[in-house]
This record gives sequence, C-alpha cells and structure tokens, in this order.
Amino acid sequence: MSDVEKLKLELKELNSEYAKIKTLPPAERGEFGRTMNAKKQAIMAQIAAAESEAESANVEALDISAPSAPNEPLPVVKRGTIHPLMAELDRVIEVYSSMGFDVVESRQLDDEYHMFESLNFPPEHPARDGYDTFRTAEGFIPPAHTSTMQHRALKKYKHKLDEGGEIAVAVPGRVFRNEDVDATHEHTFYQCEGVFVSKTATMGQMFGVLKHFFEIYYGQKLKIKTQPGYFPFTEPSAELLIEKPASLGGKGGDWLEMLGCGMIHPNVLKMAGIDPEIYHGFAWGGGIDRLAMLKYGLSDVRYFESGKLDFLEEF
Amino acid sequence: MRISLNKIKSYVKIPDGVSDQELIERIGSRLVEVEEVIDWSPMYQGVYIAKVISCESIPETHLHLCQIDAGAAREDLKGDNGLIQVVCGAPNVHAGMLAVWIAPGSIVPETYGNENFKLSVRKLRGYESYGMLAGADELGFDNEHKSIAEIDPKMAEPGDSFAEVFDLNDLILDVENKSLTHRPDCFGLIGFAREVAGILGEKFIEPEVFQNLDAKIESSRTAEVKVKITDGKLCPRYSCVIFDLPDNQPSKYLTLDAVFLAKAGMRSIDPMVDLTNILMLETGQPLHAFDYDKLVAVGGTDRPEIVVRSAKAGEELQLLDGKVVQCTADDILITSNNVPVAMAGAMGGKNTEIDPSTKRVVLESATFSLYNLRKTQMSHGIFSEAITRFTKGQPAAMTMPVLAEAVKRLGVEVAAVADDYPGKEKESVVKITTDEINGLLGTEYGVEEIVNTLENVGFEVEPSGAAPSEGIRTHEEEERVSPATAGADDAPLRRSCTDGAVLKVTSPAWRTDIHIKEDIIEEVGRLLGYDNIELSLPEKPFIEPEIDPMVKLKQELRRILSERLEMHELLTYSFVSRDLVSKVGKNPDDCYEIVNSISPELQCFRSEIVPSLLDKVRENLKAGHRDFTLYELNQVTRKSGGLNCEQVPEMKTHLGIVSLGDFYQLKAEILAMFRELKIAVEYRALSAESAEAHPYLEPKRSAELLIDDVVVGSFGEVKTSVLRKFKLEPTVSTLELNLEKVVGAPREVKTDVKISKFPSVERDLTLRVAGDMPFGRALNAIDNYLSKSGMYYAVEPVSIYQPEGSETKNLSFHIKFSDPTRTLNSDEISAIMKNIAVEVAGIGAEIV
Repeated sequence: MSDVEKLKLELKELNSEYAKIKTLPPAERGEFGRTMNAKKQAIMAQIAAAESEAESANVEALDISAPSAPNEPLPVVKRGTIHPLMAELDRVIEVYSSMGFDVVESRQLDDEYHMFESLNFPPEHPARDGYDTFRTAEGFIPPAHTSTMQHRALKKYKHKLDEGGEIAVAVPGRVFRNEDVDATHEHTFYQCEGVFVSKTATMGQMFGVLKHFFEIYYGQKLKIKTQPGYFPFTEPSAELLIEKPASLGGKGGDWLEMLGCGMIHPNVLKMAGIDPEIYHGFAWGGGIDRLAMLKYGLSDVRYFESGKLDFLEEF
Repeated sequence: MRISLNKIKSYVKIPDGVSDQELIERIGSRLVEVEEVIDWSPMYQGVYIAKVISCESIPETHLHLCQIDAGAAREDLKGDNGLIQVVCGAPNVHAGMLAVWIAPGSIVPETYGNENFKLSVRKLRGYESYGMLAGADELGFDNEHKSIAEIDPKMAEPGDSFAEVFDLNDLILDVENKSLTHRPDCFGLIGFAREVAGILGEKFIEPEVFQNLDAKIESSRTAEVKVKITDGKLCPRYSCVIFDLPDNQPSKYLTLDAVFLAKAGMRSIDPMVDLTNILMLETGQPLHAFDYDKLVAVGGTDRPEIVVRSAKAGEELQLLDGKVVQCTADDILITSNNVPVAMAGAMGGKNTEIDPSTKRVVLESATFSLYNLRKTQMSHGIFSEAITRFTKGQPAAMTMPVLAEAVKRLGVEVAAVADDYPGKEKESVVKITTDEINGLLGTEYGVEEIVNTLENVGFEVEPSGAAPSEGIRTHEEEERVSPATAGADDAPLRRSCTDGAVLKVTSPAWRTDIHIKEDIIEEVGRLLGYDNIELSLPEKPFIEPEIDPMVKLKQELRRILSERLEMHELLTYSFVSRDLVSKVGKNPDDCYEIVNSISPELQCFRSEIVPSLLDKVRENLKAGHRDFTLYELNQVTRKSGGLNCEQVPEMKTHLGIVSLGDFYQLKAEILAMFRELKIAVEYRALSAESAEAHPYLEPKRSAELLIDDVVVGSFGEVKTSVLRKFKLEPTVSTLELNLEKVVGAPREVKTDVKISKFPSVERDLTLRVAGDMPFGRALNAIDNYLSKSGMYYAVEPVSIYQPEGSETKNLSFHIKFSDPTRTLNSDEISAIMKNIAVEVAGIGAEIV
C-alpha cells in the first residue's frame, strides 16, 4: 500500500469516527468537531503533499536549452520585419503629430516649379547645382528635397491662417540626388520637412520647436547649437546641431548636424498667396536615414535599399 | 575653400582672451561651417634655415657632400668643425646659399599626415647624411621635383625656424563653400576677415583696396586700348590696364607669396600670375593677365581692341591648359578684335598666355553673368578658383579698386586704362524697424546693438525716430519680392517689443546679396549669434492634427503584413533598368526615363513594385533564406497614367508582395490582410485588362481584386518563363495592389454580432463532386441554404481530396449552426442536414 493510500484510509476512518458526533452530548460536540477537523486537515495536507511528490516523480525533466524534445520537429516561429527606415519614419511622424503637426506625404516625381521656382531659386541659379537633381526626358524631377512640397503645403493649409489659426505640417518622403553612392551617400533616401506659419512665428520658436522635437524623439533633454546655412527659400537660414544624446553613446561635446532650417523667405510665402507682411514662418528639413543610422550604429547607408533579408533580420 | 587664420589675424585684431579654438568655434556658429582645421605648425617641426658652407661633388655620383651651418639649431648633430654634414643630390646646391634643412627625426612635410616619412641619419655612398636639404615639393609647396629651395638671405639667418620665417605656424580652416553661395564677398580673405570682425563685435578696419571704390588709375596715356561690351547683362563691367612688365622671371628664391598660395592650395607660377592669384584670394576679384603683344597680333590690330561677347555655338578656343574647347552659345568670350582670346571667367586662351619673356601686359578685371558662367562651368567642366568666385556673383564695384591695387603692388607705370561699366547697380537701401528685426528673430536687441553690428561689417545705418504705424518696404524691395498676391501696403506692423526705431540701411557695394528686410534680419541674427536667441514654443490651440490617410494606411499595413502575416518589408530603388521592365513583359517606353541617370540600372522610374521585389528573391535565396514573403509600399508612376491638375505625373502608392508560396497561400494572406483592414474585397478571374497590365502573371493561376466592383490589383503565380529570367524556380506568387483605391474604401464594422444563447451544432460534411466543379460553387450551395434558414452559422472548408486519375473529388466542410431562439433537437438537426443534401444535390453533388 502506498503512502497516499494509507493516508486516504486513515481519512476514511476519521470520517466514520466523525459520524459519532451525533451520539455525543451537545456540550461536547463543539470540542469534538474542532479536534476531528484539525486531524482531518492535517491528513489532507499530507495527502496533497504526497500526491504532488508522486506526480513530480512521474514527470520527465526536459532540457530547457534545447530547441525541441528529442525526435520531435523543431517548433517554427516565423517573424516578419518592418524596414528600420520606415519604422524610424513612422516614429518621426508620430512625434510631429503628437506636437500637433498635420502630416502630408511628399511625391516622388515633381517639376522645376515645385522643386526650385516656388522656393525662390531664380532660373539657372547656381544654388540649384547644390541639389544634384535627376531629370526625366520631359523635364520632371525626382525631387532632391521634401521642400518640393512646401508650396503645396502652404497653399493646402492657407485656409487655417484665414480662419485665425496657423499652419503646422510635417512632410515625410523619399528624395533623390545624383550622387556617387558610398558608405555615407545614397542617391535615394528619406527626409522629413516641417513647415510652420503664424502671425507671430520667430526664429526663437523655430529653435524651440526643433529642440522639443529631438527631445521627444530621443526621450531626453538635449543641447542644441547652430551654424549658418544658405537656402534660397529661407532667410535667415541656419543648420541645427544637437549634442549627441546619451542613448547614442554621446558623452557630451560631440555634435551632430541634424537639419537645415530657416525663416521662410517672403517670396515663398507670397507665391503661395500668403502675405509676408502679416504672416511669418519657419521651415526645416532633415534626413531620416541618418536618424536610423545613428540609432542602430550603422556605418553603411547602402544597406537600407539593399533588399537583403540578412540586414532586415538584424532588427 | 581654405582660409589661413594668420592671414585673417593680419586684418582683424583678435581680442585678448579669445583663443584660436574659441575663434574657430565662433566662425563655425556664425559665419560658415568649418569642415576641418589643419594645424600646419607640426608639419614644419625640425625644419630650419641653414647655410651651405661647403659643397663637394662625390665622385661618380650626382651627389654632393655638404657641410651646413644651422646656427643654434641641433647643436647635437654638429661635427668638430661646428657644421653638420648632409648629402644632397640637387643640381642647384652650392656653397654660400641659404637652404631649408630638415633635421633627422623630423617628418618630410610633403608626407605629413599621409605616410609620415621620418628622416634619419643614414649613409649615402659611405658618407653619413644628417637629414636633408629640401626642395619646394618636399616642403609641400610645389609638384615638381627639380631643385632644392633657396632662401633669400635678406629674409633669414642660419638656424632660424623655417616655420617662423615663412609664417607656417598657422591654422588652415577648410570651410564649406555651399553655405556661402550667396556671399561673393566672403570668397576673398578680406571679406572673410570682415565677417570675423563682425562676429567678434569689432569694427572692421577696411584695407585700402576696399576704402576708396572710386579709385582712379593714373595713366601716362602712352598706349591705347579699346573695350566694348556687347551686352551689359553678360558682362556688367570690364576694366583693364596696360603696362610694361620689367621682369617676369620666377624668383630663384622660395617666396612668401609661394607659401601664401600654397596655403590656399595653389602653386606659384611667375610673379605676374602669382600677383593676380594673390589679389583674387585676398579680394575675391579674379584678374587675368594677357600678353599684350600676342593679344594685338591675334587681333591683327595695332592696339588692343577688346570685345566681350557671347560665343557662337561651335566656336573653338585653345585654353591655357592646352585643351581645345567647342563653345556653346551660353559661353562668354573675351576677344581681340573678335578673335577669341579667353573664355570669360573660366580660363585664358593659349594664344595670349603670358610667359617669362612677356614684356607688356593687358591686365583684366571684370565681372560676368553668373548664370552664363554656371553653364560654362557645367558644359566644359571647368572648376577653377576664378570661376568658383565668378559664379557667386562678384560685385562690379570692385574691378577698378582691385586693378588699382595690382598696379600699386607691381609699382609699374600704367600706359593705358579702360573701364566699360554698363551694368552699374543701384545702391541697395533697406528700411527696416528694430521691431521687425526683433519680431522675426524673437529677440530684444536694442537699437545701438543692432546699428553697431551692421556698421562693424560695412553697412551704413541711419537710425531715425519711432516706427510709423505700418510696415515699410521700400520701392526697390517691392520689386525684388516677386509678384505680390496680397496687398501689403496697408498691412499692420506685426509686433513690438523694443524701442521701435526705423533704420535706413545702406549696403556696402560688395554686398550684392542684400535686397530685402529679411537679408538685414539675417545679418543681425547671425552676427550676434543665433545661439543667443532665447528659445520658445509657439502657442497653438489643441486641435487634432490631420494625418495623410495614405501615411496611416501604410502604417497599418506594416503592422498587419510584418507583425501578423510574417512578411518582410523591403525598400528598393524607384529607378530600375529598362531590362527589368522588359523582363516582366512590360513596355519600358511607358516609364519616365531619367536622362542623367547614374547607370543604365537606374534609368526608368518604376511603374510597379513587383519587378523590383522579384529582382531581390534570388540573392536572398542564395543567402540561405527560405519560404519568405517580401513586400514594399512605395510610389510608382507611368507615362500613360497621365498628368494631374498640376501638370505633374500622377503618382500612385502601391503595395507589392512577392511570396515563395503558391496562389492559395498568397490568397489566404491577402484575404487575411483585408479582413484586418475591415475592407470588403472580392476576387475573380483575371480580366483581359489585368492580364495585360501584369503580363508576368500566369492568367490561369491568377485573380484580380475588387473593392466595390472596381479592380484594385492583381495577384497570382508568376509565369515560369518570367521566373526563368530571374533565375528562379516555380512557385513564386505576387500581388500588385493600388493603394489609392484602398485608402478611401469603407471600413466595415460589424454591427450585427451573431452569437446565439443556445448551444450550436457542429457537423462535418463531405461532398463528392465532379473534378472540374469550382470549390466556390459547392460552398455557395451550402451557404445558400443556411443563409435562408434564419440560423447563425459558419461553414469552414476542411479539405479537398482528389485521388489521382479520379474524375470526382471530395470536398469536406465543417459546419456549425445554432438557432437564435431555442435549442435544436435531433429531429430538427437531421432535417437541416437533409435540406443541405437537397440543396447540394441541385448542383450535382452527393453527400458522402
């Protein structure tokens, strides 16, 4: 007879003994009941412990480090991947929209007017050379910057100004430059543009908004600084640098060039039908590839468009 | 562009307490991006001036055994005679000369930062040589290795540090030209120095050349020169002088000028050319010297008759570098009596080149249309220092002052002067209020601070009383600001924060970039430091932002496809090869073609995503991946898609999927995707149009997708013949989906949730049907009955079984149904099953 069986027999005997309670004088019943109950509980606990031990004794231990049991097929857990650049782009969009920016996507084939003219680049101006644009036989341009959407964004949301509000819009998109490809240069990459227009926009607000953006994006307080820049569509123009955040291994004193920015040139506002005497704005644009490269410590931009699953599976 | 910090310091007194490091940081934050700072001083450590005391030929070699006097330098190396022994192979080494000695243990400057070649004491032909006597090339100033550098004894003593004598303890800043595109004045060291003074808050003391812009050049009138500009737009000003050049032999000594040019990355040529280059580096104004006699001879005239005109297409000119160029109509030519002698702004002609024997010179100082010169630069690939400056728009005001400076430095008597100036610009005057400045910057700078800041860099500022009640824009400014759409005249002044003075700001003649208020605001903001602007955030009402629905849809799809359906998101180029387009049977001529593509691989703007993904399958298989599904969300376009209302190509965002599964696998995934999106989708056999649009799909194993009866995409298995071109084996399935037609589709939220309170009945049912009966037909039959029955039900396919050679197949279903009002008893259940049997018998199916 096993231990458990012995205990169960004991319990059975106890139960039949318990039946005597009816024969006892009422005054003794309480004491008798309590004593019997305590005994019963003790036996039941022993049974439970013995049963648990017996169950465990029958269970075969497995090798937790193995991928499967011997002679069994390996379990398959397939996983898909979101492209890291698109994950970053979505994150940027999320931050801008959390700050109240509307989001409009940039187009991938555009014309001279939107790429240059509406941005105050005089025809044939040498400043156009800096953009190394591709062209189609028809004269269309795969845009070299998301600023190609600035004029459209201003026109699309001008009604907000008329209604007493402001324009705040972020424009993510794919852009193209006729450059030799190497570890740090791609002919195809992603940017995000920002445009803000109100009656009271200032350069101080511009730097404030940009600092705020990067602080949300990196989840920490950051230092910023600027250097002068030149863009025909902004005046004054600057380039914004942030101190390398701790999350990227920054130890202070390292600066990262993040984007070009400036106060929207009055001609650009005018061409969109916005009176530059009343309204002022700022705009900026920066690369998404760089954000992703910094985040993941990538040293070669060419991975992004390589189409290699080996690369994607790293994320 | 390379900037010598010592040279800048020669123009600007740097306040005590501002270290080089701080100065460079300030330049970087307020003037121009400094890409690199190169410290030249360590390059010349251990390099001394030494006198060659004796020089004897070593027999049967070209070598000389020299004893040199290095003064107090390296006493440790001196022999008993107090001299140091060096073996030298240069033909020009001779006793009595001052030379440059690189002591053992020092790095040859030319190799500094690269191979860092360190000299040692070594034996040459049995003679110990302590270091070497250096040539200009080894010192980093020349390319040619021919002789050792000789030093003018007036300049130095033996033992002097070479770096000190030649001003080489210097920091060279390599600055990013791009951010100075609009600042021709900063392409001269003086202009750069002016800005350095400005950012230090110091008043810049103008060197003489910038002080008197109306300087006249005295001439003896002993010669004559005629200048004719055919179009003032092409050439706003052409000035020149004629003088006799006493001697244009290159100096036998290493000169300070040669070193100065080397710091800018240029080489010394001869005194005349060096002077033109030095003045260009200092002032930003390029000069060009013609050989007078050659110029006259080419023109066949008795005096220079210079005509500046457009080139005729095809006109030829041999340039100084020997190349013969075919001009385009955009090039500007300097001609001698109409015979081309120089490609304006770019390079002089070989036919009028000056040389050491040149006696008389025509020295040109002019400005040209930057637009034309940009085209010249692009079409002929000329990227000289001169054209780099001209394409920034050098101010016409500077041609004569720089010419006068050249004459002064040469100390020559001018025989004739000419100055044709058809393109004189109006003085640039901008009226602006301090409120406008502070209002745009978000600052509170006072009038005095603003006025001083502008005056420090040469603006004339006339402050006057309080601002009027409206914004001001001068007439000239109105012209500059392009077509006004809104009436700005009655616009109210936007804000006020300081003392609101009106400033009349007159730009110096060399600031060709200042036209409107914002230009002045930029100067104030930049010179006082953008980093000093207090940060703030705009006040904005709490309104939900509007996100582009396509952006949202793509985010949603990424989550469904990658996270739920285990697919991999790729990004591939928008540019594809014609070959790739042809491979999938499409017409590459329908793709927009990039005329300046990087390679034929990147020539066409793609019209579909699938081909790009197909192209990525093989290499991933080779990398060991199996059973994967790739997708991409991106824009496509094609010529036949036409233009939109803006007259730009209609762009469409597509989803492309390439799966290594078969049709059914992909179908299941596509349907799951639409179920997640809650969009009702239908599919049917590929129509002729879809088959034509996707010629790579095997029509018998493909289907098209419809939303609201509109075709939105096609999916199916790729033809074996197409797969072969991609070196792929069957089976590969693809989807090309036009998201423009998905983004607005209604999302169906289930409003009638059908869950019965009563137990449901589950039954398995197998139908034997003809082998060619479509599955859908059998399913519809079961569905038909149940949908009429008023019950809640679900029919799930379980299996399709058709033994080889059999003319029938068995279709198994799992059926689940319940009555919403009561528990079904066994008789009722039997009746239902019987009715299903009747229904399917109608299509010729038999329950097994």
